[in-house]
Amino acid sequence: MSEENSGQMGSEPLLAAWIKWTMDFWDTMAQMGPGLAGAGRSGGQAARETSVSESPWLAALNLWQAFFSLLTEAGTVAAVFRGIQAPSKIILRMAQAGWGGYFYLHQQWLEGWQGGGSPAGNNAYEDLDQDIFGACNEIFEHDFRQLLNLPHLGLTGLSQVTVLRAKVQFKQFQAAMAQFISLLYLPVKKSLRAMRGVGGLGRQENLPEDFKEYYKGWLKILEGHYMTLFQSAEFIRTLTHTLHALEDFSTAKEELLSEAMTALGLPTRREMDELYREIYLLKKSVKGLAQKIGRTEADREEG
Amino acid sequence: MGRPKIPVDLILAKLAADAEEAKHRLKKARDIFHGPLATDIGTTPYEPVYQEDRVRLKYYRPEAARLKTPLLLVHGLFNRETLLDLQPGRSMVHNLLKEGVEVYLIEWGSPSRRDQFLTLDDHISGYMDNMVEFIRGRHGVSRVNLMGVCLGGTFGVIYAALHPEKIRNLITTATPTHFNTAKGLLHIWMQEIDVDRLVNAFGNLPGNLVNAAFLLLNPPRLLLDKYLGFLENMDNKDFVENFVRMEKWIFDSPDVPGETLRQVIKDLYQGNLLVQGKMRLGERRVDLGRVTMPLLNIYGQYDHLVPPEACEVLAEKVGSRDTENVCLDTGHVGMYVSSRFQKETIPKIAAWLLAREG
Repeated sequence: MSEENSGQMGSEPLLAAWIKWTMDFWDTMAQMGPGLAGAGRSGGQAARETSVSESPWLAALNLWQAFFSLLTEAGTVAAVFRGIQAPSKIILRMAQAGWGGYFYLHQQWLEGWQGGGSPAGNNAYEDLDQDIFGACNEIFEHDFRQLLNLPHLGLTGLSQVTVLRAKVQFKQFQAAMAQFISLLYLPVKKSLRAMRGVGGLGRQENLPEDFKEYYKGWLKILEGHYMTLFQSAEFIRTLTHTLHALEDFSTAKEELLSEAMTALGLPTRREMDELYREIYLLKKSVKGLAQKIGRTEADREEG
Repeated sequence: MGRPKIPVDLILAKLAADAEEAKHRLKKARDIFHGPLATDIGTTPYEPVYQEDRVRLKYYRPEAARLKTPLLLVHGLFNRETLLDLQPGRSMVHNLLKEGVEVYLIEWGSPSRRDQFLTLDDHISGYMDNMVEFIRGRHGVSRVNLMGVCLGGTFGVIYAALHPEKIRNLITTATPTHFNTAKGLLHIWMQEIDVDRLVNAFGNLPGNLVNAAFLLLNPPRLLLDKYLGFLENMDNKDFVENFVRMEKWIFDSPDVPGETLRQVIKDLYQGNLLVQGKMRLGERRVDLGRVTMPLLNIYGQYDHLVPPEACEVLAEKVGSRDTENVCLDTGHVGMYVSSRFQKETIPKIAAWLLAREG
């Protein structure tokens, strides 16, 4: 990482952050473990079974914690990196970028996982949490994209740039599409959470026994969530972003195809478009002239 | 997390009871799927009477014509005109013929890349006007009746404003004219579309993008519930045939010429120029005050694509004194394919036209 980027997270602090998040996460899971194991059984039986299932669980956690405690000690990570006999700086940089990305991604995933149990809240779709796709994009923009800026030299340099640009735009489109689809999934998630509340109906007398009633209820809730989402600024922003990514990819793909077609001696789309434009204008002129002639002849016949 | 209170055991028992019925239904459905299915659309016989480039004019002859003035149907560019003749016996075209109306229908065809430069003016003052001229000459009438469907209705309104001397009566169905409304999702989304970027990238708006956009308007119904409904009724041959017909129509959106799209989005959806009297087509301003012929404006109360707010203003803006707004208890597509529309609204349209034959 350059000096200017000192504000960004390097691999070592990221590793440390990732370890901390991982430890916190498994610590939480460990606390949940016995409870989960005992769910749905009578108190005494659950307690007996828990004591049996708890020990390997705790043993694994202790081992995990011990391993990461060693890693978090000052200098351990640096020593690991020093030990690598890097064949080239570029490969090392790519590896660091990859690690950095992975750690960051994992951290985002853990955050998402831990936040997953929060209450559904209302129908608002503003200020959504940064999701996993946002994290992917950030990694791409901060680390990998810089590598793609390396100058391409020599006879095929320009073609390489075109190919690379198409690849980047395709990746950007994929990321935008994934983000868009994840946004489309949110109402499903929210509606399912809302349906948990249907359990509360159990205290009432008229509880539907037909699955279709639940389905209809869920569908109605789902529709409501979609309508709210589709009118939100977040959705419109994401939709626009996805469309732009698709347009950019389409343009980059066309440039790539044009190069290939030129090499094959075939007319490119741009050339065909120019031709279509000329034909369109010619046809319009001819139609206009034909109408004028028709009118003149009609006037002459009348006169 | 507390234990769920939903009676899962009762639901499972009900599902088990349904399983036998489902098995029987599946067996019957298999026989239906293996047999021949009548799923053709646009089956009412017609005569292609005019063609210019990709655009055709279809003529439907009634057994006995009750009206002297023929009716020209104009559909929008985003979907196919086959919506108006989707199902034999429950087709708008077929039922208009039964009412004794001579029907002409514009088929916009499938725009290709060579059509990307065609403007709104080319469609309205070009193709549409040439067809109106053709019909006037063929029937020896000075004016024709014009009925627009969805955005085709907007085309009809613009045409009527530019050539009022050629239109006897104007009918608009689910026709947006007031675009500055936050009621319909399409109207909201269109405000943010960078149409220049879209057209520069694609040339024409790809039909598949249009298909996807329509699905987005209500994913729970259009991507899930609809198909569950199909599974529940797949032992009913009529249902299956109609379902497949509708699927054929829905997913057959043609590409939309880029330059036309550019003007539709900029001038109509984003600028809302039509109802303000600021829209220009070629060299001419579109003045709704010039729409002086009788107007019947029909729209659906539950139309999420073209909400009533986008339609009802038209009657106030035109110069005609003979206007009528009809708000039906239906949605967008339902307006054209529902039994109620076929039984009630089409006879009403025919009677309205007959009363204004002049």
